[in-house]
Amino acid sequence: MMSHLLNILPAIYGDATGPTFWMPEAASSVAGEIDWILEFINVISYIFFFIIVFALVYLAVKYRRDPSRKQISGDGPTHNMALELTWTIIPTLIVLVIFWVGMVGYIDLRESPDDSYEVSVAAQKWSWTFTHPDYAVTQGGELTVPLGKPVRLVMTSADVLHSLFVPAFRVKQDIVPGRYSTLWFEATKPGSYQLYCTEYCGKDHSNMLATVHVLPEDEFQDAMGKLAREYEDLPDADLPRYALVRLYNRCASCHSLDGSTGTGPSFKGLWDRTTGGSTVFTDGSSLEDHMASGDEYEVPENYIRDSIMNPGKYVVENYTNVMPNNFASQLKPRQVEALVLMMKHLDQLVDEDGNIIEPPEAEEPKGSDMTETTGDGG
Amino acid sequence: MVVDMMTLDTGQMPKPDLAPRDNYLTHTRGAWSWLFTLDHKRIGIMYLTCVLSAFFVAGMFALLVRTQLLTPEGTIMGQDDYNQAFTLHGAIMVFLVIIPSIPAALGNFVLPIMLGAKDVAFPRLNLFSFWLWVAGALFFVLALLTGGLDTGWTFYTPYSTDPNSAMGGMIPAVTGAFILGFSSIFTGMNFIVTIHRLRPPGMTWFRMPLFLWGIYATAILQVMATPVLGITLALLAVERAFGIGIFDPALGGDPVLYQHFFWFYSHPAVYIMILPGMAIISDLIAVHSHRHIFGYKFIAYSSIAIALFSFLVWGHHMFTSGQSPLVNVIFSAITFSVAIPSAIKVFNWLATMYKGSISWNTPMLYAMGFIFIFTIGGLTGLHLGTLATDIHLHDTYFVVAHFHYVMMGSALIAMIGGLHHWWPKITGKMYNENWGRWGFTLVFIGFNVTFFTQFMLGSQGMPRRYATYPADAGFQIYHVISSIGSYILAVGFFVTAGYLLQSMFGGRRAPANPWGGRSLEWQCSSPPPHDNFSKTPTVGDCYDFSVLEWDEDEQGYVWRADIPHPGEEEPRGH
Repeated sequence: MMSHLLNILPAIYGDATGPTFWMPEAASSVAGEIDWILEFINVISYIFFFIIVFALVYLAVKYRRDPSRKQISGDGPTHNMALELTWTIIPTLIVLVIFWVGMVGYIDLRESPDDSYEVSVAAQKWSWTFTHPDYAVTQGGELTVPLGKPVRLVMTSADVLHSLFVPAFRVKQDIVPGRYSTLWFEATKPGSYQLYCTEYCGKDHSNMLATVHVLPEDEFQDAMGKLAREYEDLPDADLPRYALVRLYNRCASCHSLDGSTGTGPSFKGLWDRTTGGSTVFTDGSSLEDHMASGDEYEVPENYIRDSIMNPGKYVVENYTNVMPNNFASQLKPRQVEALVLMMKHLDQLVDEDGNIIEPPEAEEPKGSDMTETTGDGG
Repeated sequence: MVVDMMTLDTGQMPKPDLAPRDNYLTHTRGAWSWLFTLDHKRIGIMYLTCVLSAFFVAGMFALLVRTQLLTPEGTIMGQDDYNQAFTLHGAIMVFLVIIPSIPAALGNFVLPIMLGAKDVAFPRLNLFSFWLWVAGALFFVLALLTGGLDTGWTFYTPYSTDPNSAMGGMIPAVTGAFILGFSSIFTGMNFIVTIHRLRPPGMTWFRMPLFLWGIYATAILQVMATPVLGITLALLAVERAFGIGIFDPALGGDPVLYQHFFWFYSHPAVYIMILPGMAIISDLIAVHSHRHIFGYKFIAYSSIAIALFSFLVWGHHMFTSGQSPLVNVIFSAITFSVAIPSAIKVFNWLATMYKGSISWNTPMLYAMGFIFIFTIGGLTGLHLGTLATDIHLHDTYFVVAHFHYVMMGSALIAMIGGLHHWWPKITGKMYNENWGRWGFTLVFIGFNVTFFTQFMLGSQGMPRRYATYPADAGFQIYHVISSIGSYILAVGFFVTAGYLLQSMFGGRRAPANPWGGRSLEWQCSSPPPHDNFSKTPTVGDCYDFSVLEWDEDEQGYVWRADIPHPGEEEPRGH
């Protein structure tokens, strides 16, 4: 394959490099090749730019008009066929080379290896859900992938166009509703990388972010194992914190923790508003109206549950229902239970400003070394 | 025959020589004489006023966007307001400012005079085009009043057609763009017919100033590409209003089809914006270098080549859209073909300066600024036409920087350069040259500070259309520099507006030919008489400046005393 020619160059340029003036940190198998092509075009551009700007400034100064002359006209040649052909043919040859190099690099970007590890990606306004079919694990807002192994993303959108972009991997692909899109990469450097939505998708487009965690194979296996059992094995007491850390990021673009108004109502004080029945809906009824003995929300937890599973049922006054109605199919019963418990105990989990309060470290010997125990500012 | 048509269309008999005080500005008076004028010059002035007003509004939105991005969490707006701000900035700049700026505003004023005609071929249609522009603008205002617009200027489906997604002003906005499309089509038609039919004796195709070649190539694009936009927007409105599935997959449609339709127009539209800019620059460089244009035919044909190629490259906007890799490869290959005629123009402009006699007037500074900026805009197009690198750069600030270098730094800078070039002709007044140079310096520096930083911002990974951005990604420093640049740019434009407006009241009276141009508009007085020429102008080689000399009394250029004026037997002598 032609691309082997280019694959020598990443060996010189390096597969995993820190950020350069132009490019961010490089952390995938194709990044070296892409960066090399970009620098190749840069060099050509610099050469043309300096020739043109030098000529521009030189000519402007050298042939600046002498105001003492009454007759004004310059007297250079009006045409020169050989010159015209030269500056037509040379750029043509150069852009042909650029095209060819870019095409070869693109084919390497698009052709996923046969043995790729597959992840399903569900994009919707304004969150990412990643499912690992091999481990029956679903992650929201975070994608954990193995190091040094081709990963193939099979992506769908529940509503409008989205686009998955990881700058450190140099990959991007639009996600079109009604069809599957795919993307592959092989991470070459352990670490955490920013993932963006790069196709405008409405209000919280700029909050439609996720993080890609690249772990060495054994750590990846451990992480998957933990995630698979996580909510099943957790004692009930740990469920609220689990929901806050693992599930809330799917809600975060619309529902704040600090009381600020978003696309949806803030979670701060939600439980008090619920038990107090003060919430008023768009149909004019208040929650209290539905809480009478024998009515649907006699048990207030059911209101929270309904709001997650069937978000259009009652919409809080001054908001419109833009919440996706597919959380019911994404969440396991125990996860829904965890979310309800999270709302209930939110004031113990986050402070006034919506920052997560770290749990007391039970295993650590307390007070033996101040710097170590207070070191976690995280 | 040609002369007959001209007489018929203006509905007037040729007048005897007019007193110098009677010009198109003073010929008739009162608001009605402007609003329903058939004079191409007055229609040009009305376009210019409206387009510059829209430029002010869209520029204010740009400053809001830049101010918002000073801090990662957003400085002054919520998400919804930001999304409206960038949408309105883009939509107004594209549909209401840049597309009509050079052809409809400057072109309307200059084209018939340059050609040696008394008006465009269809003066009533010309007035109708203007009023369509006003109607289109009103629909954009209506879009704001009926719920706002937050789709981006591209109106991508299914976001735009889903009533639960896009804001309520979609249908008025799309209607506005549809109407503006017809304004553009009619202007293009008018110019094509004018250039074909109203050339006076002696004005052959290859004697036309290159500005006319550029406007002609643009007019072809306006007439052939804009109807596709009209159809596409009509389908969009039908889907949104009646739920008829065309683009929305939930209704059985295909959103990628919309992108094909949209870019089939909107890529040629990029050349509707840049070709007239290149056309102005060709004439500015030659006139202010006082030197015959180099490679006339190559520049003229390259305009036509760009116009034709531009219909074949729309798919390069869609390399990540999910169209097949083979299609991507083909579009990438064709895209590079556009680079060649653009490069040819730049080299010919430089060759025109060689052995010239270059006056560093404000219009020439803008022309040189154009070459600098367009070179960067064109070369960064290589990064985006190349498949492997476009995947990384697509929908980042790199693209934002690239198209601002081409659409704003090139097309709009050329428009402002042209405005300075023809300002004495339009108003009959000279602006202050020193202020002009300061204004240019501020605009040039402000522009490059604003947008060059955005190349790094984009290649480092910052997506476009983001109201906020991660604080730890290293983007903020670039955003701050870029925003400071935008404030410098704004000051530059205010300075420019200030001295231009001042010149209308306090400026020195302009001579007929302040720069030493030879195209026909410099043969009539400044400002021109109502019907442009009191006698049929003599057409010569519009790039042969050797027959002109500076006249101290006139403070302008006149025919040389020692050679005979065409039509006269003897030199005038002294």
